[in-house]
This record gives sequence, C-alpha cells and structure tokens, in this order.
Amino acid sequence: MSIISLQDVTVNFEDHTVLKSIQLEIPAGESFVIVGPSGQGKTTLLKVMAGLVTPQNGKVFVEQKEWITLSRKERLSVLKKVGILFQKNALFDSLTCVQNISFPLRETTELSDWEITKKAEYFLDAVGIPHARDLYPDEISGGMQKRLGIARALALDPEIIFYDDPTAGLDPITSRKIIELILKLKREKGSTIVAITNDMNRAFQMADRIGMVVDQELVITGNPEQTKNHADPRVHQFVRGLLQGPLTATP
Amino acid sequence: MIALIAETLTGLFTPPFRRKEFFQQLYFVGNKSLVIVVFCVCFAAVVTILESSFHMKMVIQNDSMVPGFAALLILRELGAIVSALLLSSRVGAGYASEVGSMQITEQIDALKMLGIDPVNYLVVPRFLACVLGGMMITIVANMACIFSAMAVSQLYLGYTPSMFLTSMQRFVDFKDLIFAMIKGACFGGVIPLVACYFGFRCQQGAEGVGRATTNTVVVSSIAIIVIDFILSYTFSYLY
Ligand SMILES: Nc1ncnc2c1ncn2[C@@H]1O[C@H](COP(=O)(O)OP(=O)(O)OP(=O)(O)O)[C@@H](O)[C@H]1O
Ligand SMILES: [Mg+2]
Repeated sequence: MSIISLQDVTVNFEDHTVLKSIQLEIPAGESFVIVGPSGQGKTTLLKVMAGLVTPQNGKVFVEQKEWITLSRKERLSVLKKVGILFQKNALFDSLTCVQNISFPLRETTELSDWEITKKAEYFLDAVGIPHARDLYPDEISGGMQKRLGIARALALDPEIIFYDDPTAGLDPITSRKIIELILKLKREKGSTIVAITNDMNRAFQMADRIGMVVDQELVITGNPEQTKNHADPRVHQFVRGLLQGPLTATP
Repeated sequence: MIALIAETLTGLFTPPFRRKEFFQQLYFVGNKSLVIVVFCVCFAAVVTILESSFHMKMVIQNDSMVPGFAALLILRELGAIVSALLLSSRVGAGYASEVGSMQITEQIDALKMLGIDPVNYLVVPRFLACVLGGMMITIVANMACIFSAMAVSQLYLGYTPSMFLTSMQRFVDFKDLIFAMIKGACFGGVIPLVACYFGFRCQQGAEGVGRATTNTVVVSSIAIIVIDFILSYTFSYLY
C-alpha cells in the first residue's frame, strides 16, 4: 500500500503549467529522490505532496487520505505525521535554535515544558549541534542551519519526511555527512523519505528510487543503477552534466 | 484584501488566543513608536498655534480664539492623523518586511505545516495590538499636543494656561476625545491589515520585500486619509 499517491496531478501558476498529469506511488519506507533542472517544479511537486500547494487537477493522497477533503481536525492529524525541511530552511528567526525545535512540540503536543526542552535538546544533539542551543538562526553557519532545519522536521517523530535540497550550498564533505545523518535517522525510525537534490552523487547515496522532473513531467528513472544507464536522452544528459543534449540550461 | 479582513475578524473569536504574541506586539507598537509620535505631534501643535495666530491677527486683528480653535483642530484631526501616519511608516513598514521575509523564506509554509493558521498567528495579534495601541497613542499624542500648544501660547502669545483652558472649554467637547479615540483605533487597525496583505503576497528577493514595504506605507497612508474623511464626515452629524 503506498503512503503517498498522486493521481493525474496538474499544477498551473497564473497561466503557465508547471506540472502536468503526474502519476506517482511511494510505498511506505521508501527513500524517493527527485532530481531535475532548476525551476522545473521539484519544490512545487514536494509542496503538492505536503498539501501546501493544491493542484488545479488530480488527486493527492497521503496515508490514503486526500488532502482537500480533510476537515481541519483530520488535516492536523495527518500533518503531525509529516515533517519537512524547506529549501530555504524556514527557520523562525525570532526564536533561538532550541526554541525552533520546541515550537512544533509546543504547538501540537500536550507535553510539559520540561519534556519539550528535553526533547528539543535531544534532537539538537542528534544532528550534532548541541553547542548552538541558545544562538539565533542568523548566528550559525549554513550547514548548521540545515541541521537545525532537519532537527525541527524530525521533532514530531514524523512517518514521512520531505527534504527540499538538504545539501544546497554545502561543501561536499558536509553534504555527505548530512545525507548520512538523514539515512541514519531514517533507519532508526523506519520513516519514508522524499528528497530533492541536484547533486547526483548525493541522490545515488540516498535513493531507493529516483524520479526526474523535466518538461512538466515526472520521469521515474528507477534505482541508482537504472538511472545511470537510463535511455531517456534528458536523463542521460542530466546525470552526466553534459552541455550537449535536449536540455537547455535556463539562466 | 476583503478575505483577509474577514479572516482576521473571525480570527478574533477563534481559539487559540495568542496572548503572548499580542503583548509582544503591543509593546512593539507602544514602546517603539510613542517617543517619535509625541515628538512630532508637539512640533505640529506649535506650528498650528503660531500659524493660526498669525492669520487671525492678519484678518480680524485678534488672536483670542486661537487656543480654543487650535485645541479643537488638534483633538479632531492633528493628534490622530499625524500619529497614524507616523505609525504606518514605523509599524506598518516593520510588519510588511517581517511578514514578507517570512513569506519568501517559507516560514509561513512552515507554520501551515504545523497546522497553524498564519492569519490567526500573525495577523490577529498584530491587529488587536494596533487597534488598542493606536487608541492609546492617540490619547497620549493629543495630551502632549495640547500641552505643547499651551506652552507655546504662553511663551509667544501671552495666554496663561488657565486662559488657554477656558478658551478650550468653549470649543472642545468630551465627545471630541471619544471621536479621536475611535479614529485612532480605526487607523491602527488598517495598518497591520495592509501590511500583512502585502507581506503575504511578497515576491522573492530583497526587492520583493522592499516593494511590499513601500506598498504598505503608500496604501495605508492613503487608506488612513480616506477613512479620516469618512469618519470626520460621519461624526459631523453627531455633534
Ligand atoms: N507561488 C508561486 N507563484 C507563481 N509561480 C511559482 C510559484 N512557485 C513556483 N513558481 C514557478 O514554478 C516553477 C517551478 O518552481 P519550483 O520552485 O518548483 O522549481 P524547482 O524545481 O524547485 O527549482 P530549484 O531547483 O531552483 O529549486 C518556476 O517557474 C517558478 O517560477
Ligand atoms: Mg526548489
């Protein structure tokens, strides 16, 4: 049974179509990685799954529940099972690191202040930034912000975690460590992951299955091996980062 | 915009009530703006007194009506509108850039993912704080204004405070203070609504935040002046 299911999903912004008739089934426990050229709609696809963008056409199910049919209360119970790391981190800049992680707990659970703080500290520890506890997001490095974003996404013990470009702007070594962290946390909880990245090495490191968003479509390219040898010329070009081919880099 | 107003008004009666955010915002509105507002309205009052005395002397060779007339003008117009325009650039611009940068850094989306309604969380406490803050600032501004008008009348025109107050009583009614408060509350309410409206629609980049801020100050200033006209017109039937 798939935990996320998109049926015939179409998204338009103003008058241009970003995604057209997308079909996707993600089984529970899978690590699905979305790749694709910039501006083709990867973030949009992720936000459709997370219920933040409502498609003009088609159906989106998470845990067999369709987002738009849910009442406020049902929606809340689904949201509790979903964690998300945004491309721009979306850390609350008026809150310290530990408060950023406490915030979701305070808003959605009945835990006591003491339990919340304990839990927030545990997650700061888990992502390796306990020393940043009382600093504000502006005061820590990009890599630490990503870690904090991940910690916040994990705070509610979600079953599904969306990662939008978890390694953007990070050096190769830090990127690798972040992906290892993501995989370690996934193994511990057995959660489902949907991640976006443009770094093919990180995609291969992380993915059970890869899909590429290009020309309003989602091309499922299979596991890392299958992706490397995929027949579609666009996938071939993208995976190898070639300048010659059907894809033109949009400035 | 109408949808935002409707959501905010329903949000006023929908739990959770965010008391902490409300007091934070009230502090922001009051603490950070009061000094600027008082400073500016005092100067406005001084100018009003000097100018009206000059003109009255020119036309009817007598400025004995100046204190009362100036007090009336201050209470009915100056105190509320000058404070509101200052608030719109001080508080409105602040809210627009704050909410706008939350929008483009996806913090608004992050709130939604926690099941938090951004209108309830961001707009409602700011709206309440500005309505209350606008009302209080208007009262304080009016008092400061009258006080500085009194001082300058004594210094330059030779009217003692008691002469000023007697003259003021002839013109000014208790109703004027109430109407000034109503104006202050309405102007205060307009500012966060306009600011959050442009903040939520903020486009990517620093440029987008700049545009949201500029639009907020321009639109809220215009709105304040139009509302001032409507309220003054309405109140003129109630005297
Ligand atoms: N809220 C919005 N309103 C209008 N257009 C939008 C909106 N969000 C995204 N778009 C447009 O949709 C297209 C896809 O954007 P999206 O952010 O999904 O791309 P992406 O694949 O995530 O790119 P990147 O790799 O640069 O993050 C872009 O052309 C973008 O301009
Ligand atoms: Mg993106």
